[in-house]
Amino acid sequence: MKKLSILLFTMIALNGIAQNVEFEKKNFPGRKDELNEAKDNIKKGDEIFEQGEAYYRDALPFYLKAQNFNPNNAKLNFKIGLCYLHSFEKKKAYDYILKAFQLDPSVDPKIRYYMGRVYHLNSEWDKAIQEYSACLNTIKSKEEIKDVNKKIQECNSGKILSQNPIRVWVDNLGPEVNTSFNEYSPVITADESVLMFTSRRPGGVGNKMDESKNEYFEDVWVSYKVGKKFSQAVNLGPPVNTENHDAAVCLSPDGQKLITYQGGVNGGDLFISYLVGKQWSKPENLGKAINTKYHESSASFSYDGKILYFVSDREGGYGGHDIYYAEINEKGKFEKAVNIGPVINTEYDEEGVYMMPDGKTMYFASKGHNSIGGYDVFKTTFENGQWTKPVNLGIPINTPDDDAFFALAGSGRRAYYSSASLGGYGGMDLYKITILGPEKQPLLNTEDQLLAMSAKPVTNLKVEQAVEVTKPKMTLLKGIVYDAKTNEPLEAILNLIDNEKNVILASFKSNAATGKYLVTLPSGKNYGIAVQREGYLFHSENFNLPADADYQEVTKDIPLKKIEIGNTIVLKNIFFDFDKATLRPESFNELDRLVKLLTENPTIKVELSAHTDSKGSDEYNMKLSQKRAESVVNYLIGKGISADRLIAKGYGETQPIDTNDTEEGRQNNRRVEFKILSAK
Amino acid sequence: MSACRPIASALKNKLCIFAKKFFMKNVILTISILCFSIFSYSQSDTVKIAANLTPEQIAQNDYNSGLNYLNNNNPSMAIQLFTQALQNMPNFEKAYYNRSLCYIQLKNYPEALKDINQAIQLKPSDEYYFTKSLIFFHQNQKDSLEQTLLKTLVINPNHAEANYYLGMLYFNYQDYDKALSYYQKAIQSKSDYAYAYNDLASTYLMKNDIDNAIKNYELAAKYAPNQAFIFNNLGSAYRQKKDYNKAIEAYSKAIMLDNNYFIAYINSGATRLEKGDIVGAKSDFEKVIQKDPRNSAAYNGLAGVYIKEKDYKKAKEMATRAIELNPDNGQAYYNRGIARQMLREEDAACEDWQKALKLGITPAKSFISTDCAD
Repeated sequence: MKKLSILLFTMIALNGIAQNVEFEKKNFPGRKDELNEAKDNIKKGDEIFEQGEAYYRDALPFYLKAQNFNPNNAKLNFKIGLCYLHSFEKKKAYDYILKAFQLDPSVDPKIRYYMGRVYHLNSEWDKAIQEYSACLNTIKSKEEIKDVNKKIQECNSGKILSQNPIRVWVDNLGPEVNTSFNEYSPVITADESVLMFTSRRPGGVGNKMDESKNEYFEDVWVSYKVGKKFSQAVNLGPPVNTENHDAAVCLSPDGQKLITYQGGVNGGDLFISYLVGKQWSKPENLGKAINTKYHESSASFSYDGKILYFVSDREGGYGGHDIYYAEINEKGKFEKAVNIGPVINTEYDEEGVYMMPDGKTMYFASKGHNSIGGYDVFKTTFENGQWTKPVNLGIPINTPDDDAFFALAGSGRRAYYSSASLGGYGGMDLYKITILGPEKQPLLNTEDQLLAMSAKPVTNLKVEQAVEVTKPKMTLLKGIVYDAKTNEPLEAILNLIDNEKNVILASFKSNAATGKYLVTLPSGKNYGIAVQREGYLFHSENFNLPADADYQEVTKDIPLKKIEIGNTIVLKNIFFDFDKATLRPESFNELDRLVKLLTENPTIKVELSAHTDSKGSDEYNMKLSQKRAESVVNYLIGKGISADRLIAKGYGETQPIDTNDTEEGRQNNRRVEFKILSAK
Repeated sequence: MSACRPIASALKNKLCIFAKKFFMKNVILTISILCFSIFSYSQSDTVKIAANLTPEQIAQNDYNSGLNYLNNNNPSMAIQLFTQALQNMPNFEKAYYNRSLCYIQLKNYPEALKDINQAIQLKPSDEYYFTKSLIFFHQNQKDSLEQTLLKTLVINPNHAEANYYLGMLYFNYQDYDKALSYYQKAIQSKSDYAYAYNDLASTYLMKNDIDNAIKNYELAAKYAPNQAFIFNNLGSAYRQKKDYNKAIEAYSKAIMLDNNYFIAYINSGATRLEKGDIVGAKSDFEKVIQKDPRNSAAYNGLAGVYIKEKDYKKAKEMATRAIELNPDNGQAYYNRGIARQMLREEDAACEDWQKALKLGITPAKSFISTDCAD
């Protein structure tokens, strides 16, 4: 007997692990009441569990209570693991699934698959591949085989990307933005001053639960940048939010247009609202060119507002949700939607499309390409008429779980996205990613005495490569339009002109309540900007950006002057050949604007004056400026303006408006001005 | 020379008194005594006149004595003798020349210039022009230096030192092609001109011709095997070529020749760090600190080591110490900025990079534009 006991004990010890313990009386002598309670909890949990995946998290508390009583039941551990795998706390499934297998390797036909899942979610790539490969021997259905092979591929991608993690800081946006409920789909203005996002928290419009998901309905919430943090988020309210699902989809770069998703409409459709003063307008359906009976879920405008990129799972795509685009014609209507093509779209789902304000870089989420699990964020650029092969943004931005809705700020240095796998306040949270670029190398005080006689120490600096950061080549121009006399903010139209091609690229409006405007100017063009409002003289600005001009933010407040005697404007988009009075073609747009102003105000008489900097003799500058003023006047006369309304005057260098000691100052002094002499 | 005169005077006085006493008694005796006095005088320099030496000979004697003093590092005495020589022989151009050398030693360049000009006037030789150029060299008058050196070469194109100095001048002007040409001429005239090999190598280095730099540093080392700075330069050339082992070997040799040559330790540490030998780098910097606890460059080196080890707290500490010891250590500000950024002290990091940029560390500019734009 003694030998048998020793043998049994040895066998148990050699096993080294707990055995599967069923919820039976014989296993819990003298604990009948506790046992019954545990079994009761399991039963309650099962009832909820059987309602479907949406309810798994409600079954969890019951299972966990039973688990407290008996932590060594294989089936219970397996169910708890499954519940966690279908929640936003997927990583917690790890211990339970592995324990379930240890307790009973035959606990479930799919146990090896789920072991693969938990290893996968924990980035243990080799172990995950091992388990996935093992379960290939047991499954028969083509779909399941395809799924497992896909997951093996994802693990292989994960292994490769793990070798070169991206240097980033990932910071939770804090309790002002996140809650224990889900927050996702952040949308941000180019200058990061306004953040909107979708949340399934209580307190929304309607404040109702979606029974199918056991979560509150989606609503759009908004938060504003204050210093380096975001303010307490508030519900955007009606009319944008309704009693159904309303999700934030995209903001135009200037923050004046908002696209939302409404889930209760036509399979899920996209709507647009406009910011009028401080109020958002009632969302309008984007129409048939965009919305179908299928699911349209996310969208993004191009920088000039002329193309809308969006996601749909309509028929005729490459599989699942795909990215499409539709151009906006001159009448503001959408042209036919076109699939963006197989370079970007895969047989799996694409989602969360986001176009950068630089006009050529796109971010999107995909379950295809070389995703390492679920949705991953990818980047592609439009070059030479086509999209480049999408590049995975890498670890830790991408994880084995879903990572989507990536919105990069205009500076290119920060991005916002939602993730469920980083802890946080519960569910999906919003995070800010700061992209650090490659590791910065230290500089040391090395020294050499290169010349023997003088023994002059010469310091050798180790010149480092510039930090490579995804930095768009563009200028962010923002400011306030206001009345020059009263300082009241004004709503005005800003026309963005390509001076070389003499075309209006885009039109924007400043906000009626605040006068604020925001325009993005991709590098590589000579831009004219004309700010117009009825009753006022137009304001002219010029930005000549070389192709390699780096990202910069320029704040320029714009005063508008009324059409009154004595008011003067500087015409910054009038160009002459060097040392001559010949008008260059890039000037015609501005001059035509002048013609229009004079035509619409037939009684005003004006002086067109030309000025030079101080280089060259006084006499020469006088002559040149007079000729230039006459060139402008001749152009206007040629366009039908009566000569007796126009005076051409050259002032040479006699009326500088800036210093002549710097090139910038001299450039400001070389100008053409327009002054109202009389209005009768 | 001058010591004899007071003694002779005293003797003369005494003899005169004696002579007066005995004058009436013994005129012949008096005359004899006078002759004796004159004889006594013949032992001093002034008596050489009486011994029938020409002024030229006297001048030569003074000149030789002057040379003696000059060679024994007593330029003040030498000047007096040369001056005397010139009194007796006003066209003694060698005396002007050597007196000029004395004034150069005494850093009295205006007087040196006067004398060398006199020498040149009397005899426009390459050596005199070269000496004149040295005066301009010391006064940092580059235009005059260049002209005078070129003048030297007109007279003697193979003047090794003149070619060498011109090489140096053009190196400073960053006209490396001209510098190369003159250094090569110097070497052609003097095949073991170690300094010329060194400077030639440095010129190749500035032109990024590392192989030729190494070749010429090796030659400089061959002809001046005890000069630590040459091995240091050789090490830096190997480092630029990324031949880290040879670089470290050269720096070690420099240290062996002068184990207080901290520059070589710092360079060696930097090389080891580049190579990935963090332990070795740390050891180099710590050795400097042991010998020179106030060495800012060494503390900055340790800051670099800790950055590589990702111990940013320690890195910040070391960089801060480097700055305390030398507030103009731009590299230390740069490194402290890196450490601070990784410690999430982003505003402070930006301040440090701004400071580094102000101190001339241009790589900080890219960090400021990408990471500090807010």
